[in-house]
Amino acid sequence: MTNSWKVKLAVCLTVLFSTVAMRANCNQTTASQADKDLWNTHGCWQDFFLWQYQAYDMRGSDWGSRGWNDACNVNKEYPKHWNASYLLTYGLQDNWQFSFHGTVDYRATAERWDNQFHDDLYHTATDDTSIFGAFTTHFFGPNEVQTSCLLYDPNLATNANPGSRAGDFNHEGWHAWMDKYNWDNGSCGGHRCGTPGNCTAKDACDYFYFHGIGAYAFGAMWENNGTASRFHSPNQVQVEFLCDVADYPQSWVPNSVRLAAKSDANTRASTRFINGPGYFCGDPRPW
Amino acid sequence: MNWQCILVACLMTAACFAQQEKEPPRSSEPAIATRPSEQDKARAAAKAPALNVSEQDAAKAAAAFLDWAGASPAGQREDVRRMLEQAREYKAIAAAFCDEANRTAESDFTRSLLALSLLGEMRSPAGADCFQKLLHRPLPEKGIVANGENVEQTKLAMLQAKAVDGLAYLRTAATDREVLWAVGKHPSRIVRAEAIEAYLWNHKDSNEARDTLLKYVQPKERIFVDRVRREPTEEAAVFNRKLTAFLKAHPEAVAPVPKRIEQKAEPAKPPKEDEPPVR
Repeated sequence: MTNSWKVKLAVCLTVLFSTVAMRANCNQTTASQADKDLWNTHGCWQDFFLWQYQAYDMRGSDWGSRGWNDACNVNKEYPKHWNASYLLTYGLQDNWQFSFHGTVDYRATAERWDNQFHDDLYHTATDDTSIFGAFTTHFFGPNEVQTSCLLYDPNLATNANPGSRAGDFNHEGWHAWMDKYNWDNGSCGGHRCGTPGNCTAKDACDYFYFHGIGAYAFGAMWENNGTASRFHSPNQVQVEFLCDVADYPQSWVPNSVRLAAKSDANTRASTRFINGPGYFCGDPRPW
Repeated sequence: MNWQCILVACLMTAACFAQQEKEPPRSSEPAIATRPSEQDKARAAAKAPALNVSEQDAAKAAAAFLDWAGASPAGQREDVRRMLEQAREYKAIAAAFCDEANRTAESDFTRSLLALSLLGEMRSPAGADCFQKLLHRPLPEKGIVANGENVEQTKLAMLQAKAVDGLAYLRTAATDREVLWAVGKHPSRIVRAEAIEAYLWNHKDSNEARDTLLKYVQPKERIFVDRVRREPTEEAAVFNRKLTAFLKAHPEAVAPVPKRIEQKAEPAKPPKEDEPPVR
């Protein structure tokens, strides 16, 4: 075989395999109770998803086989993605006396636009179940936030619920913040390696930069002063978002969403911090 | 096949992708005319299914109540609590919540968690056995590992943590013994941490409760006894005072100064002049 034919063959195989890879999907036959309960609060609000796909820079070429053309089917990934965005956009009380941060902070972290929180982003999904999500920088064009099947398939993990998914948007978005301002959070996927200090989640450990309620005006979460007194890590932003969903949601947010967010927040706060534990959200009363 | 053909094929493929990229998401379902906020009142008015039913109908009633409670707005939290308090003696309902928690433990964590939450809030003695069995179920050794976490283990541990909340809320000597066992001996940090918090809260954060806990807690986890809890309805000033006291008592919990990414040092430039540098 001549070299030119080898090149042609490689081009064809690349095109073929990229198409095949796009066809692989997460389980699209079911959704968690929390996803369904939240979904029923809007009943598939089309005005919202027609805004959301632009706000998160989501593309048919990435989501075509994941419910892009079936956007009212809560069993598929794209509808679950926008369901989580719906919670993030409308679901918080934003009470400065109680909440860690405001919707303006969490939206600015998760959404696409270049701002004080990060450079441009776009959202994709992946079948890779060795991660919950990932942030990848690109030399050309916007950087990428990936979310995996673990956030969509309730058979696989606890995280397949709207609060945890939206929490991951914030986690990955915070890696983008670290990238924008050149902070070094560790060499294991942007976290500290191993299980240092009180952290038990191997290669996924962060510091918790404790701060009081009201320490940040709403909209100022991006700020830092270069010291531990005014700073955030990705897992911390995720915990604080989940806490705000669990403890101070809008009154219409379903209880199943609130309970799942609380459970995720407290699990994460107990296991992912070198100087942990982080705050305990709410009280341990069962309901 | 020649290069032109490949080029045309590539351009066509790229054009297809570009076209697909521009297409907005869509659905064949008709658009809903009302905004979600206009439906809130109707949702909040949904009536809770009755729990005082015959033993035969208990499973069906429990499932219906679970559906309703999961979907109920967060603003109705206290209403749900009152209903569960009134259902404390309905053993068949408690058993049905337990069955539903076990049935969905693998397939839908959020529904299983919901069932355990309802069962715990009932404070039914029938719940104790259910929680105990769940708490002692061994953690799976195999499973998907994501970001350093065995997700199967985490799933069971998070449910066991909810079971611990239920046990602690029963506030009996026997269930407290189980909680204290979990504080020291449970293999998962998730469960141990929840057990510490649940024991403290159910004993009104008393000094006696702290002293008891310190006898059971693992040496590396003593700091969990002093952990800052954000209580519902607790205003900023109260929380901030607790946080200040915690950081004073535990200076080791203050994170180190964050690090910048090290920029590669630029190579030294040769001098512009021919003369040697001044010594």
